[in-house]
Amino acid sequence: MCAAASIGKSLRINGVAKTYATRAGEPLSALGPISIDVEAGEFFVVVGPSGCGKTTLLHLLAGFLKPTEGQILVGGEPIAGPGLDRSVVFQSYALFPWLSVIENVEFGLRAKRMSRSRQREIALHQLRLVGLESFANKRIDELSGGMKQRVAIARAFAVEPSILLMDEPFGALDALTRRVLQRELLRVWQEQRRTVIFITHSVSEALFLADRISLMSARPGRIKAEWRVDASRPRDVTAEPLVKLEREIYAQLDTELTALSTS
Amino acid sequence: MISKMPSPTMRLLARAAGTLPFIVAAVVIVVVWQLVVTLTRPDPSVLPPPIDVLATFGQLIGNGELATDTAYSLARVCAAWLLSAVIAVPLGLLMGTSRSIENIVNPFVELLRPISPLAWIPMAILWFGIGESGKVFVVVIGAFFPVLLNTVVGVKSVDPALLHAGEVFGCNTRFALFRRVVVPASMPAVVVGLRIGFGTGWAAIIAAELVAAQSGLGYLIANGMDVLRADQVLVGMIVIGLLGLLFDTFFRFLQRRFGRGD
Repeated sequence: MCAAASIGKSLRINGVAKTYATRAGEPLSALGPISIDVEAGEFFVVVGPSGCGKTTLLHLLAGFLKPTEGQILVGGEPIAGPGLDRSVVFQSYALFPWLSVIENVEFGLRAKRMSRSRQREIALHQLRLVGLESFANKRIDELSGGMKQRVAIARAFAVEPSILLMDEPFGALDALTRRVLQRELLRVWQEQRRTVIFITHSVSEALFLADRISLMSARPGRIKAEWRVDASRPRDVTAEPLVKLEREIYAQLDTELTALSTS
Repeated sequence: MISKMPSPTMRLLARAAGTLPFIVAAVVIVVVWQLVVTLTRPDPSVLPPPIDVLATFGQLIGNGELATDTAYSLARVCAAWLLSAVIAVPLGLLMGTSRSIENIVNPFVELLRPISPLAWIPMAILWFGIGESGKVFVVVIGAFFPVLLNTVVGVKSVDPALLHAGEVFGCNTRFALFRRVVVPASMPAVVVGLRIGFGTGWAAIIAAELVAAQSGLGYLIANGMDVLRADQVLVGMIVIGLLGLLFDTFFRFLQRRFGRGD
């Protein structure tokens, strides 16, 4: 029912760097310069230690921040501020507590030229995909953390974005809920293919989800290594090839963590 | 998964348990009062026993005087509170959103705020006489600042993630973000301000009526003092207290309804 032909757009991060001015007026390099090319419809996961600039990267992609250097292109077009073509799933859910579940999912659709009944139809469809159709009229504070993040995922997919940005979306959830939501996200994503940029500090999460994994170095964050994950989904992260990959990623990550703890 | 909703009976029981401490406190006050009367035998014009006050209470209800005075005080405080809300809420929303508006308005607020509404009563009489507008003016002074300051704080403490979510999901202009995110997200703090403002306004109207009125609960107790009727004064005080508690409870109920999700 929702345009299945569209699989999102490519993302080109071209020599992007972010520098902040400290209070003393000296420049503090938070990120990059980094360059990444993400294909349309690709599930791209960025792994990195805390404080490596992952969130800065995501805020640049969302358009909350402007890069000090470089360019961000979506489908070949430079981005100008936040927009519906790049929707975001936040770690803190960031749902609007004064709106009902379905009104949250409809929020982004209000800015589009379509009838209210069409908006409702799309929102209900998205809620059905995350298994929350019967919660459409509940208040947000009646939901558990896992359900809130499902609503946020439905809200993000509802606007049919070119790119879906996910900032440690399952970081605040317990291990079991996290597992369920990872599976659910893949199911929703396979049904309506979008380009996904997913940020996490969990290597096993990355292995379970990603087409490609990129490891960021300690501040200022740069791309340190990259792996393609070819295993078919649903994946068993305890299978031999993935365990081998995991060992490799951890080896690289450990050198970064040592760098962090000694700096 | 879904947070457990208590059954209606459980909720009723919980509410009853919540009011129990208040009933105990009220009983303790009456008992202590009666003890003081029994032990020290004061002149009834200074401190009458609770039973006499109850009789006066019945009498003032019977002749309609209490209802009239309550209606006067309520009408004044409601009109003035609405007026201050109509000015303070939009102004607070603007001050919270725009740094330059805040920088201009804040000095006025900080200079005027420490002046108690009671200190304005003489000026109110000089300017407006002892008509209704003077009293409304005093209550506006009393209710205005809590509403304003809570609104400003509410706007400033909106979760930045909600602002980001608003920007991502279609609020392309500052005004759209203001209307669709900032205003509704600040509502819980606005309701707190309205509650506190009503409380300070309620205190201010009694004071204004003590000095310059021919009606209202403040007048009822001032008049009681003039004619040495402590029982009448006490009836007035009790009604003021009970109504204040009632409004506060009502606003707390609103607060829960507009409360934040997380």
